[in-house]
Amino acid sequence: MGLIQRTIEAEGIPTVGISILKEVTEKVRPPRSVYLRYPFGHPLGDAFNVTQQRTILLDALRALETITEPGTIVEPGYAWRRHRFE
Amino acid sequence: MRLVHGLANTLIVQAFKHVPWLASRWAKSHQFVEGRDIPWAPLRKPVADSTIAFVTTAGVHLKSQEPFNMDDPDGDPSFRAIPAGVPRADRTITHKYYDHSAADRDINVVLPLDRIRELLTQKRIGGIAPFVYGFMGHIDGPHLRTLREVSAPEVAWRLKSDGAEAVVLTPA
Repeated sequence: MGLIQRTIEAEGIPTVGISILKEVTEKVRPPRSVYLRYPFGHPLGDAFNVTQQRTILLDALRALETITEPGTIVEPGYAWRRHRFE
Repeated sequence: MRLVHGLANTLIVQAFKHVPWLASRWAKSHQFVEGRDIPWAPLRKPVADSTIAFVTTAGVHLKSQEPFNMDDPDGDPSFRAIPAGVPRADRTITHKYYDHSAADRDINVVLPLDRIRELLTQKRIGGIAPFVYGFMGHIDGPHLRTLREVSAPEVAWRLKSDGAEAVVLTPA
C-alpha cells in the first residue's frame, strides 16, 4: 500500500495511510501514516462501531494538516477492543 | 510446483488469520521495496475545504467487475474504479489473504464510505472524490513492477483528473 501512496504523493496529491503493520510502514516510508496495532481486516476498528471508525478517520485527516516531516508515523495508541471511544 | 506454492500460501494465510503476531514476524523477515527519499506534496488548503479520495488495498470492487485474481501467489496488481456512492448491494470483497467477515458486514472497517459522507454533511471536509480505487494487497514478485510502473501511476493520474485534493489509503 505504501508504494501506491508514494506514487500518488509524487504526482502532487497529499496522502495519508492507515497502517496496521508498523514494520512495513517503517521500511516502505510513505509520507504520512497513522499506525494502529489492530488485526488484519480492521484498520478502522470494529464493525458498526461508528465512533471508533469516525475517530480514526478524523485522526487520518488531521494528520494531513499536522504532519510536517515526511515519513512521520502518528500513533494514537487506541488499544484493540479496550480503548473506549466517545 | 505452482500447486505446492499455492497450497503453502493458503496455509500461511490461514495461519495469519488466526495467529495475529505471525504478521509482524512475517513483516520483519519479508523483503519490501524500501523507500529512500520520501515524496512530499503539501496540503494546499484545510481538510474542511478539500476534496477527499480513498484508495484501499482491501480487495473491494463492484460485483459487476472482474474479481481480483486469487490463484496467482504473487497477487494481482490491477485496480478497480468504484463509484464513491456505490450501493451496498453492488459491491463485494475478493481477497483471501485476510478475514473480511467484519468488512462484509460493515464496509467502514476497511473503507469508511459512510463516515466520510457524515463528515461532508458536517462540513468537516470539502467534498468526496467521485471514485474510490480498489487494489488487492499482497502483491509480490514481477507484479511489483506492474504496480509501480503501470497501475499506481494510472491511479494517481485518475485521482488528479477526479479532482482529489487529498487521499486516504486503507489497508486490508
